[in-house]
Amino acid sequence: MRGADYLLKRTAFAIVTVFIAVSINFVLFRLAPGSAVSNLSRVPHATQETRNALKQQFGLDKSRGEQYVLYLKQLVHGNFGVSFANSQPVAENLRTAIANTLPMVLLGTLFAIIVGTFTGVIAAWRRGTGAEGATVTSALAFYSMPTHWLGLMLVILFAGVLPTGGMTDDFLINPSWWTHVQDVLKHMILPSLTLGLVLFGEYTLIVRSAMLETLGEDYILTARAKGLKPWAIVRKHALRNAMLPIATLVALSLGYIVAGAILVETVFSWPGIGRAVYDAVLARDYPMLQGAFLVLTVSVVFFNLVADLLYFRLDPRITQ
Amino acid sequence: MSALLETEDLQVWFDLPRGGTLHAVQGVSLGLERGERLGLVGESGCGKTTTALALMGLLPASATVSGRVLLNGIDILRGAEETMRPHRWVDLSMVFQGAMNAFNPVKTVGSQIVEVLELHHRAAGRAARVRTGELLAAVGIPDDRAGRYPHEFSGGMRQRAAIAMALACNPSVLIADEPTTALDVMVQAQILELLDALCRDFGLALLLVTHDLPIVAQLCDRAAVMYAGELVEHGSVDTLFHAPRHPYTRLLFAATPDLHGDGLPASIPGAPPRLDRQNEGCPFRPRCDRAFARCVDERPLLRTVAPEHGAACHLNDVAAEVAH
Amino acid sequence: MSIVINEPGLIAEPEPIRSRGGILWDTIRRRPSATIGATILSLIIACAVLAPWIAPYGLHEQVGPPFGAPSWQHPLGLDDGGVDMVTLLMWGARISLVVGFAATLVSMLIGGTIGVVAGYFGGKVDGILMRITDYFLVIPDVPLMIVVAAIWGPSLFHIVIVIGILLWTSTARVIRAQVKSVRERVYVKRARALGAGHVRIVMRHVLPQVAPLLIANTVLTIAVAVFDETALAFLGLGDPSRISLGKVIENAFQRAAISAGAWWAIVPPGVLVALLILSCSLLGQALEDALNPRLRVAHVSARGFRLRPLVGRNADAV
Repeated sequence: MRGADYLLKRTAFAIVTVFIAVSINFVLFRLAPGSAVSNLSRVPHATQETRNALKQQFGLDKSRGEQYVLYLKQLVHGNFGVSFANSQPVAENLRTAIANTLPMVLLGTLFAIIVGTFTGVIAAWRRGTGAEGATVTSALAFYSMPTHWLGLMLVILFAGVLPTGGMTDDFLINPSWWTHVQDVLKHMILPSLTLGLVLFGEYTLIVRSAMLETLGEDYILTARAKGLKPWAIVRKHALRNAMLPIATLVALSLGYIVAGAILVETVFSWPGIGRAVYDAVLARDYPMLQGAFLVLTVSVVFFNLVADLLYFRLDPRITQ
Repeated sequence: MSALLETEDLQVWFDLPRGGTLHAVQGVSLGLERGERLGLVGESGCGKTTTALALMGLLPASATVSGRVLLNGIDILRGAEETMRPHRWVDLSMVFQGAMNAFNPVKTVGSQIVEVLELHHRAAGRAARVRTGELLAAVGIPDDRAGRYPHEFSGGMRQRAAIAMALACNPSVLIADEPTTALDVMVQAQILELLDALCRDFGLALLLVTHDLPIVAQLCDRAAVMYAGELVEHGSVDTLFHAPRHPYTRLLFAATPDLHGDGLPASIPGAPPRLDRQNEGCPFRPRCDRAFARCVDERPLLRTVAPEHGAACHLNDVAAEVAH
Repeated sequence: MSIVINEPGLIAEPEPIRSRGGILWDTIRRRPSATIGATILSLIIACAVLAPWIAPYGLHEQVGPPFGAPSWQHPLGLDDGGVDMVTLLMWGARISLVVGFAATLVSMLIGGTIGVVAGYFGGKVDGILMRITDYFLVIPDVPLMIVVAAIWGPSLFHIVIVIGILLWTSTARVIRAQVKSVRERVYVKRARALGAGHVRIVMRHVLPQVAPLLIANTVLTIAVAVFDETALAFLGLGDPSRISLGKVIENAFQRAAISAGAWWAIVPPGVLVALLILSCSLLGQALEDALNPRLRVAHVSARGFRLRPLVGRNADAV
């Protein structure tokens, strides 16, 4: 199979990165000063049984080395400990949180990719005109705005018109499935829009850059020499090739997306994983913080791998 | 009968980033007859590639053009891009430097030849794929390669595929810009032979743009020499080799290494003038070994010095006066 | 991540490199985006540095009711503690800039060193260092910063270190590429042939060539550092004893400025942060472009080439 070794290499890289993140997690939390941090069993309001169980699972009275091994074992089994805040298994909390975050982030990112690609192509196409200047300026402006501040701006602008907090309306009792979906979507507009606007700025600039590079390639001149109309050249040749650097750079913006998600969910009280991080920080809920960090990191690594595979699929030149 | 392809006083300026313009082509007038092979020679930066691109209107937005480009007597430059585009590939087509990526790397070579066939309504679908196979076979590429990507071709094969693609719509003029640069010597010879055979078989006119004089000698009947954006001499290859009437031509041909001779290859000291400013007098004067007073402030015009032979040098006037 | 923010109409001509300091100054003067960026940045820095002398009121001085509306004496109104916003912004900018610069310094030192070592020595060393860099590149910055800040405790020093140790990756890559190309230059090879020691070569030949690019990258990093600081402050991880711009925004958020209708407590600090990040991005990007021209002429664009009409001739019908 073509490039099997490329795929293996990238997968191995992803696994090692996750491993490093897990280890960093362990080091940070167990070796940090203060027993409250290193002691996962110190769950407030928990029964003695729960505490003993935790002590056992994570070997909290054993040596660091043994703790590390047990930690890894528990992770593989999906045991992240018990939340200090609500005494529920961290894994459960995270599951709900992720389910809430994904649609919101997906919507925002898709918006950013679609609008950003469109404006980026226009900016490159209309090089040297006012349209390009205006597009680049507005893209830069959005790119420079702190995500959380932009969220607050949107709250100020749309308060009363669109819901600005939470994922659902607390006053809806037993809504039908369809009403519930509509309600969630309404609540999703502002947070997704915030995330999308900040990302769109970055993507516009990236796409424009990639397009300009591509438009300077030799085969574009050949396409023009062959008698293709300018826009047809963009459609049939340039776009396809510009997608390659775009795919990689979108992957690199994953960290940015995660940061954005945390900030946006805090501003809009969206009950997702970003908000979970905020709450955990506030309440010093270390097991949740650990778990959330791990989940976020693994997600980023995973999507990076997906981007690698996508790139591999798009570019026939990669064989190793 | 007018020439197949002619330019009249072709000028090209490029906008410079910090203002001002670069006068890359300064009044080039040349003609190409049906089936004729003309070599356009000169050192790097003399404007020969820009001239070639201008013939097909392949200049960027930063360019300004004036003059006329006559195809069968009709000025196709008149409406800029709109009047030039209809003639691309069907009347005039081009083969680029061997080092360049003429093919889009993410598409198969075959699909890109099919693209021209379909674009210009020569064939479609299955018929187009068959025709592509025929074209590739004509340049010596087995047709199972059509489904491969450009990076799977060697440099020489890619160039041959590019030639096949250039001929797909039966143009009457083929422009070849440094077609053998960056290719191995053995491959160079193959490409030249291929060009020779194809032009002969299809009755193509060939404009060969290059700095490599020996290949001009091999393939072309006539040649035109450019220097600093201007045409300084044109005539038959024989005449230019043995009886040039411009010092630059003489020095250029003398600088060509000779495998059999004993002499050291001479290089012309100095550098061409800058094209972003107006220059007085003859542009070659600083490097010329025969310059005299008149060359300092009077620009020599391209004059006919013999049948089918023109040169832009004051020395010819002197010779003419002396002869009288 | 490199974005091309360049001037329209540029032809692919690399600008001649005069002196090393000269090219930076040159770029600032010549390219509009760099000029604007440099101007705005200088203004903000000036205001921040001179804050103790030019701030209209005291930083902890209550001059009116909480969330007092804008007026002639207080063009940007008052915050939740009755403190003048203009004063707050000036002092806030100080801390934000301090954090931005300090964190960038840390990251520049780490990234620059790794980049130089990897680029200069190449081979195994390069491989290992770049592999490590790759891992750090993938791991998302902000969550890690949050975790470290939460455990370590909020203080200015901690924030600076936390941001600094995560931002070095892009610097390392850029510097490494530059060092690799410099290493192949004639005068470096000559120095090695003459037996000059590694340290000497790096100090005398490599660093001066790499310095301009390092500066460009530094400016870009400052933008990210400022953003990271505001993010951390917003999440309650900022230094509680210092007011940074991020803290101003966080305060307003916590004290429900929006419900009180006090937009002046939220909008101006964010605008200032955005301007700061914008100016750094413009300046840094323009500098990077000037030093690393990767421009090529676009072969196709909406506008085509222009035709200059023939003078004094009868044109034939087409």
